[in-house]
Amino acid sequence: MNEMISLNPVLLIVVPLGLAFLAPLLGLVSKKIAKWLPVVGFLFNLIVALTILPHVLKQPIIVKIAGFSPPFGINLVAGPVGMLLATLIALTGFLVAIYSLKYINKGAEQKYHILFLLLLTGATGVVLTGDIFNLFVFFEILCIASFALVAYLGNRAGIESAVKYLIQGSIGSSLLLIGIGLLYGQFGTLNMADLAKQIVDYTEPSVFVPMVLMVTGLGIEAAIFPLNAWLPDAHSSAPSSISAILSGIAIEVGLYAVIRVLFTIFDVSNFFMFFVFLGVLTILIGEMSAFSQKNIKRMLAYSSIGQIGLIVFAFSISTQFGVIGGLFQMISHTLGKALLFLSAGYMIYRTGSMEISSFEGIGKKMPFTALFFTIGAFSIIGLPPFVGFSSKFLIVKAALAKGELLFIILVGIVLLGTVIEGTYFFRVIQTMYFKDGNNEIDKKESPITGLIPMFIFAVLIIFIGVYPDFIIKILNPAASELLDKVEYIRSVLG
Amino acid sequence: MNFLHNYIYYIGAFGLIFIGIFIIIVKRNYIKVIIGLSILETGVNLFLISVGYISNGTAPIFSKAGIDAKNMVDPVPQALVLTSIVIGLAVLSLALSLAIRLYKHYGTLNLQKIKEQKW
Repeated sequence: MNEMISLNPVLLIVVPLGLAFLAPLLGLVSKKIAKWLPVVGFLFNLIVALTILPHVLKQPIIVKIAGFSPPFGINLVAGPVGMLLATLIALTGFLVAIYSLKYINKGAEQKYHILFLLLLTGATGVVLTGDIFNLFVFFEILCIASFALVAYLGNRAGIESAVKYLIQGSIGSSLLLIGIGLLYGQFGTLNMADLAKQIVDYTEPSVFVPMVLMVTGLGIEAAIFPLNAWLPDAHSSAPSSISAILSGIAIEVGLYAVIRVLFTIFDVSNFFMFFVFLGVLTILIGEMSAFSQKNIKRMLAYSSIGQIGLIVFAFSISTQFGVIGGLFQMISHTLGKALLFLSAGYMIYRTGSMEISSFEGIGKKMPFTALFFTIGAFSIIGLPPFVGFSSKFLIVKAALAKGELLFIILVGIVLLGTVIEGTYFFRVIQTMYFKDGNNEIDKKESPITGLIPMFIFAVLIIFIGVYPDFIIKILNPAASELLDKVEYIRSVLG
Repeated sequence: MNFLHNYIYYIGAFGLIFIGIFIIIVKRNYIKVIIGLSILETGVNLFLISVGYISNGTAPIFSKAGIDAKNMVDPVPQALVLTSIVIGLAVLSLALSLAIRLYKHYGTLNLQKIKEQKW
């Protein structure tokens, strides 16, 4: 009985949502409580997710809300992919919440923590939901919370980026909703498994049009190449803790939604060459723009675009190894980029500038923060023994296993992207360690609440990098879930 | 004429959607862009409602004997639209509050003149 209660994936959504609405009430008692709520909520989520994860690998858990069995009613599908991402979200949320305890010290703090809870509730909802309308609703929770958080600092750059993000994000969600409406009009169902069962041929215009609308709508949040104009502004103007979440979680969740829609609902099989090129183009655009940046946060934001391109490329290979590589790259990007943004956050805070040149000599003044930044950078570039190496290696291996000349050329371009990535990250590292800052300002090390999350991220990056088998054991069933549509339908509809 | 009669809701809905997108793309004033977003959302909502609408239909409740399930209006799109209206309200209020801050910082709402963030 006790076990049954702790095994319900609904808790992952309900608890942060409940805490978010409880925050203003608890704020009446003490102003200090609000900042602890995300820490408590995501620690709880992390524990629950880690307990559920081993069970889910054997068999997905289908939660029927209010007892209506699918396709009627609302259901959650806690499969391997969903739970893996939910665990990742809970972990990142927990660590960034610890970081925010001290980092967020001005402005409407209570509202920050409420929005932070809501953002990650939305993200968890997207990865766990089993019907497309709830996908839309959770997506909107995520989007609205992130629009508001981008504008949190209230400065010129923040407001401008939030406005841009809001306009583009709203168009995207309207397109998504039109797509959902068109599908409902034809098939009379919103359940993903039921839709997947009824859609036989995605090339029919009546199915193709909603597919394009949905992928475009979700692609705006996922920042796939032509739709990513909002990303560098939004990610660089938000507070660094939020940049870590936006880069590490929000775009990944958007990408998950695109992948889920394409793989499961529409069962696209021969359309992927388009996405392969889109992915490679996204890598090149992202990395080349990152190369020319002088602002550290913009550089990291463009690097995120490049990484997203790599993930799109990996998924578009659409073999078992390709999908494993894509999911693995998602994990390694989340860990690496969150670490980079968190460490860059305090470096910016101490120097008071986002210019890379102002980081001269910071390697001596803030040794731990600089070390963690270096670990994150090495992981994103893909140097062994960090996690980025294993994931990039898998992707390259999967692409070469295709055995086509075209893929070999594309892998060359992808590796060129990695070289560019290496160049601009090494430039920052060189500035930090090997240039003496002549400014006499006393720069202290980050506080302990900043160092602990960075330390845990760094340990995870090295640990998974050394023992990749540990995570590949989870990724294998996850990739099968995405590729095997029939099994998904059977497990949901019975 | 018959075509118009049958599809008037869809024509209206997609008309609103295209008007909304047109306004968002063409207009430079942020308030007008917000109005465009609002029109776009209204169009989407109207579209969703018309998906489930049956003319002269009844509410999906078996209140009297002899009501046929065939003539009932589908309640699901209406639930969807309720949700989407609430979401639209949240986006709209956030957009308007951002407009206030934008004007405070820049002294203008012309999006062409607000270009500090560049690629």
